[in-house]
Amino acid sequence: MDLETVKERAGPRQFAPKDDMPEEYRKAATRMIQFHANSEVMGGYLEKPFIRQAPSIDRKLAFSAKVQDEIGHAQLLYRAAESLGIKTRDEMLDELARGDGKFLNCFHYPMESWHEVPMIAFFVDGAAMHRQATLKNTSWTPYAHAMDKVCFEEGFHVKHGESILSELMNGSKATQEKTQAAFETWWPRIIQFFGPTNDKSVHNDFAQEVGLKTKSNDELRDTFLDTYVPKAEKYGLVVPEYPRIEYDEELDTYHVNEDDLNWDEFWTIAKNASDGSHEQINSRAKAQEAVEWVRESMHGWEGASGAETPQAAD
Amino acid sequence: MPDALNPEDLDAEQRAALEELLFRLADDEYVHGERLIEWQIYAPTLESDLALANVAQDEFGHARLWYDLLEELSHTEAELIWERPADEFRHATLVELPFAEGDWADVVLRSYLYDAAERLRLDALVDTSYAPLADRVGKVLSEERYHLENAQSWLDRLAEGDSRDRVQDALDRLFPHALSLFVEPDHEDAIVDNGFRTMSTADLRIEWLETVIPYLESLGLDVPEPDEVERPSARGRDGTHTDHWDELAAEFRRTYEELEAPEPARIGGERV
Amino acid sequence: MIWEVFRQDKPGAYHKHCGNVHAPDRELALQFAAVQHGRRMKTHSLWVVPHDEIGEIDADETSFGGTTDKTYRWATSYTDIEPAAPEVAESEAEQADVEKSLEADS
Repeated sequence: MDLETVKERAGPRQFAPKDDMPEEYRKAATRMIQFHANSEVMGGYLEKPFIRQAPSIDRKLAFSAKVQDEIGHAQLLYRAAESLGIKTRDEMLDELARGDGKFLNCFHYPMESWHEVPMIAFFVDGAAMHRQATLKNTSWTPYAHAMDKVCFEEGFHVKHGESILSELMNGSKATQEKTQAAFETWWPRIIQFFGPTNDKSVHNDFAQEVGLKTKSNDELRDTFLDTYVPKAEKYGLVVPEYPRIEYDEELDTYHVNEDDLNWDEFWTIAKNASDGSHEQINSRAKAQEAVEWVRESMHGWEGASGAETPQAAD
Repeated sequence: MPDALNPEDLDAEQRAALEELLFRLADDEYVHGERLIEWQIYAPTLESDLALANVAQDEFGHARLWYDLLEELSHTEAELIWERPADEFRHATLVELPFAEGDWADVVLRSYLYDAAERLRLDALVDTSYAPLADRVGKVLSEERYHLENAQSWLDRLAEGDSRDRVQDALDRLFPHALSLFVEPDHEDAIVDNGFRTMSTADLRIEWLETVIPYLESLGLDVPEPDEVERPSARGRDGTHTDHWDELAAEFRRTYEELEAPEPARIGGERV
Repeated sequence: MIWEVFRQDKPGAYHKHCGNVHAPDRELALQFAAVQHGRRMKTHSLWVVPHDEIGEIDADETSFGGTTDKTYRWATSYTDIEPAAPEVAESEAEQADVEKSLEADS
């Protein structure tokens, strides 16, 4: 299929592994899905310590279930990326370990206290879900199928995150202040989750033309703000003065003044070059390197007993 | 067989005996889960990560179920988990040991030794005289089955080839700690006489040895001699623990203390 | 040899198991399946998979999703929290449907 045909046919769930897709499409889709899959792993990495540190047994259970879901999402997404025929899952995981795999800006920062937890578990997850819901209509069918399952599960994540926020903002004055401080630290990062404005984004146009994305960065950011600014305020969080967020009465939407955001930091992170990037990529990589011997053993077992296991009945 | 008992039927001695039994059950599961979650994100493959995370979640769920029974005996979650002095936890030392980085042989073998014991212990509770316990054992047993099968599937494979030495090392290190699962409770007589557990700890130990030793030997592993092997000074069951335990307890209470002892949040309605 | 057949009714849909065919190799299996399983039902694509390569685990062998309480992983359990956004509400509705079917079986 040539690129012109792809653009003509682009629509929800239009393309599948059997289609002869041009290399530009396959590379762009791989880049996007691999980024998404890596983000699930690195988001899970960031939240994992809070399984142990959760302050109630129910919260501990919910956190464990959530981190488990994130790894499940990574499994689905790497497979959707693999189905494009550009890279294997092992190659993508190796790239992540080497520091060549890219992932969401928010997961490059350390998260150290429970007060920060809802910044990821509510706002970032809410932002992710906001984007993912639109990706159910992506043109790469295996990606859309992964989104069906991811979106099914994520509702629990966002509500769990909001429940933690609600508990903290109903806590002692000190707890509320620390939560507000965490919010101020994370808020600009959360807004940057949606990336730079359309005109500065490198890959946006092409991804939309071939139907991989159905909404632009700007549209997603604005509609996210419409929902989550009032939510933050509902719990008594004060949205920081900067970056300036303006309400457009005519369009009934919030809009951020992007010059108020630190884009140097964003682009440093995009290159995996911040301190947090190094720390988080490397400590995960080190733990993964330590179980390389298990993966090698598993390769050795492949095919050994497949034909001998009991078979499915009709 | 003694009549079925409910919380309001218990005299002081029965209550003390039952609590000892429940604390062991709950603490073992809780601390085992607490160690298993260290593998989330770090397991060898995404699929094995999910599977192990599931086991960890089950263990926390079982711990909660047993702690709930203690709550019925008028304890609170705060007392049971968040504020109980570390040296009052009654888990076996086996489950508190940290993992060396990358030591997947440890998690597989530890899970096997533990799950085999857990299976026997739960079997001995199926016909318990304590009604609230009897209600819950079946559900827990059915989840434990997967744990044991998965651990054995891994062991069958890892015990062959280059990885065998790693499994043997784990066995040499963990076996003495696993024996601490069977330290006799202070209230052993009352536990058995009242029908809370239908098998004695000594018999459970024998049955466990008769299960795990032939299996491990069939994999070509050398199992230490249970009555001769050098035992750690910490016994777990009596509140003595390895140094790793204090560190772990401090970590899982960090937020609780930072938030100045919040009421532990509950999710959802009635637990069944 | 036996091949299991999976049908997709339109582009983007899931391939669902719909039957099987006897055939000596994959090429013939596809041709036979196209007629046996594609001729009457709306079909966009078929997959064939060797029957002997299929493994099975069922509810007698394992308790899918576990047997003890796991309400904490359902959006519906957070009753004091209204869904923050339409996509959260949609996910919650999907979860409620699955919960209902699980309850119906238990």
